[in-house]
Amino acid sequence: MIIGPKGTGKTTLVKAFGAEIGRTLYPVNFSLRTRESHLVGTKTLENGEVGFVDGILVESMKLGGLLYLDELNAAEADVLLRLDEALDDRRQVVLKESEGQTITASKGWTVIATINPLSHVGTKELPPQLLSRFPVRLRLEYPPEEVELDIIRRHTSIGDSALASVSTGVKLANKLREAAAVEELYYSPSMRETIAFSKLIESGSEAKYAAQLVFANVYGQWGDVEYQKVMDMITSMFGN
Amino acid sequence: MGRCRVSKGNGYDYLYVWKLDRFLISVSEYKYNKFNVTHSSTLEGLTVRDDVLVEIATFLSRRWSDKPKALVTFTEEANPKTSPDKNQIVLPHLRGYAGNRFQKYRQWRVSLWYESMRLKYSTRVLSYDHAFGFVLNALEKKRIESIGLDEWKGMMDEIIFDEGISWLNRPLLNSLYGVQKLLEGFGQLFLTGYIKGELFSSEHDKVAKAVELATSVVQEALASQYQTKWIEEQVPRIIKILQVDPLVLIPFSTIRSRFGISMSESELTRQIEKIVRRRRNAEKNIEKSVNAIVEGTDILSEYETLVRESKRHENEGYENLENMGISIPPRLDVNESEVYDTNLIHKTKAKFKEWRTGWIERHDRSGDEFDSEAFVEFIPTPFIVDLKLTIKTRVMILLDHSSSIQEVELKYKQVTNALCEALSFLGVRFAVYAFSTDGKQVKCWLIKPPNYRWSSICTKRLAQIRASGGTPLAEIYGLLEPMVRSFKPEIFFTLTDGEPSDTDAVRHMVLSFRKIGSHMVALGLGRNIDEAISIGQNLRYLDYERSLAVSKLEDIPKKVIGLLKG
Repeated sequence: MIIGPKGTGKTTLVKAFGAEIGRTLYPVNFSLRTRESHLVGTKTLENGEVGFVDGILVESMKLGGLLYLDELNAAEADVLLRLDEALDDRRQVVLKESEGQTITASKGWTVIATINPLSHVGTKELPPQLLSRFPVRLRLEYPPEEVELDIIRRHTSIGDSALASVSTGVKLANKLREAAAVEELYYSPSMRETIAFSKLIESGSEAKYAAQLVFANVYGQWGDVEYQKVMDMITSMFGN
Repeated sequence: MGRCRVSKGNGYDYLYVWKLDRFLISVSEYKYNKFNVTHSSTLEGLTVRDDVLVEIATFLSRRWSDKPKALVTFTEEANPKTSPDKNQIVLPHLRGYAGNRFQKYRQWRVSLWYESMRLKYSTRVLSYDHAFGFVLNALEKKRIESIGLDEWKGMMDEIIFDEGISWLNRPLLNSLYGVQKLLEGFGQLFLTGYIKGELFSSEHDKVAKAVELATSVVQEALASQYQTKWIEEQVPRIIKILQVDPLVLIPFSTIRSRFGISMSESELTRQIEKIVRRRRNAEKNIEKSVNAIVEGTDILSEYETLVRESKRHENEGYENLENMGISIPPRLDVNESEVYDTNLIHKTKAKFKEWRTGWIERHDRSGDEFDSEAFVEFIPTPFIVDLKLTIKTRVMILLDHSSSIQEVELKYKQVTNALCEALSFLGVRFAVYAFSTDGKQVKCWLIKPPNYRWSSICTKRLAQIRASGGTPLAEIYGLLEPMVRSFKPEIFFTLTDGEPSDTDAVRHMVLSFRKIGSHMVALGLGRNIDEAISIGQNLRYLDYERSLAVSKLEDIPKKVIGLLKG
């Protein structure tokens, strides 16, 4: 299980891990709309015949892939129950939807879940029995500035001339994250935002304007003062 | 008045200069308002309130200095003071700066930045009143400016503006004598690159040599990343060149004195142009740069926001409140961070976050198993229902700060702060009042008016109320009656840990509030379950519609917010 705020690279890490161990990735992103049928499968009706299409959980168990449960703590309780069943020591799931068929996981079936901290909108506390199914837990925080810059370089093709502006943008993001951590701001920017900022710089946008678009405008929803606080930091960092 | 010390022998009549200062400031404000109609017409006659200013100052200084517990307060003194060990910045008030209101704000903001840099990079800040401290502070200013500008490049324009507008404030060296003249000459030449007035040739030699050494000291410190301690060790060398006694008192602290008169726009533009040429000699479009610095457009929008916010606060009738017997906790130099229990706030918010205005899905089901085919064919009602969640309740909260709270005062404040953070997070419209006894007089304090968002200012107000005195609830209800009639809270919570001293009167007031249409709820705080139950039962006899009891302070947010959903 990987625990960390949004945009810290949890999904990227899982994808890289899957590629590293040569296992097919079966990703499922949880939300209020995720149903049990997405996991276990659903009945079909073709030419008068009732069939069954495997869901992502069943498919990954059969093929021994890497099941990636993204934002698991956004899932509804009934969905979590089916996972609970599959993840215990027996590593099997009974498909009551498909004539009680028992699916046992192939060797090598691996499950990785990611969860956002409970302060994030839409998250719930996971039941303890499900938490115990993930005994190895990694905490992923925002990376140090140099690492974040390195990640940005991989997602963009910024030249040396733009590097100073991008570096300032990352510094700004870190300051905003610190302020949000102590409840002085309502929102904490993720690495997606620093990458978006860098892409704007790459496309020729002026640094201060790009920072306003990516980092400041979002705070406008909490009022002028919140927006202005961030704009003031941007002005102090980028100037004219 | 009385913000600057004037040396006995300089011939100035303090009162005269003060009056002149006021006059020129008002003239310059008039000019500013007249010629900058586009952005200042709405600001005419408006000032930034201290509570609004301290909020932005605290936020900025914490980000600039990377000290999440930095505290900013105001002083009537001319020079700022920073205590790195206490994480505290004491800044002159806005009125202590020269120029029109916007110009004052810009200089004040630059001072805040310098002091935040001192907080971050200096380990020692001495008084400007003696030669040693004066020289050390000047060297440190140069060092931290250079380091700080690496990160906060956008401050350069504002520093140039500050330096330009300070020119008239700097004393003419011809009018100074002795130590004061030498030190002021050193300060001017070292920090700005020019001297205002003349020095005798022997004095000039000393000052020039001292500046040369000071510059090389700062450059070496920057290159080798030496800190304040090393700089401090070099100060005697500079003092020796200047040939002054390191502990001699400087009669008039000049280095950042705001004592003086305002500048006309053309004078200011000329000064700024000189500085831009000196600091950025390679710059091509100097005129454009100078105009941008003089206008300060970026900072203007920030200033306008603060003025608008101040005006919004003034509309809330703070002045009238005093006449009604309700006080606002006055101190702004309170460290509110101790009242922030971030974990508790997170937990409380997490518990109720689904209640935020918005849409949630409710999953309805019946029977043992869900048969999708049967559902599709036979069930007429939708399987998923979207419910709109809104909490539009108006809430008024009264917090008991009687002496019996003393034992758990900090925890009580942390919990009530978490409650207010959560209510704010949920978008509930609420007002918070507290009562205590101050110097034998019962005080009803305004913590948060209904139309003001919960912010660090509210927390500062809460943090400074000292628990003392009894529980004269009826008296407090009496003071709050006009507020209840105008705000018309749907729920009025009273958090108290004891029996009120005036039960019959309380009953009468509770009934009168109920007639206005407010649901009266009392929350009794006990040290243990037995005591909590006993308090809860006693409160029931006071005609509250509902009385609850908690023995754990942490349960308060859950109890209060729980009632809103019901």
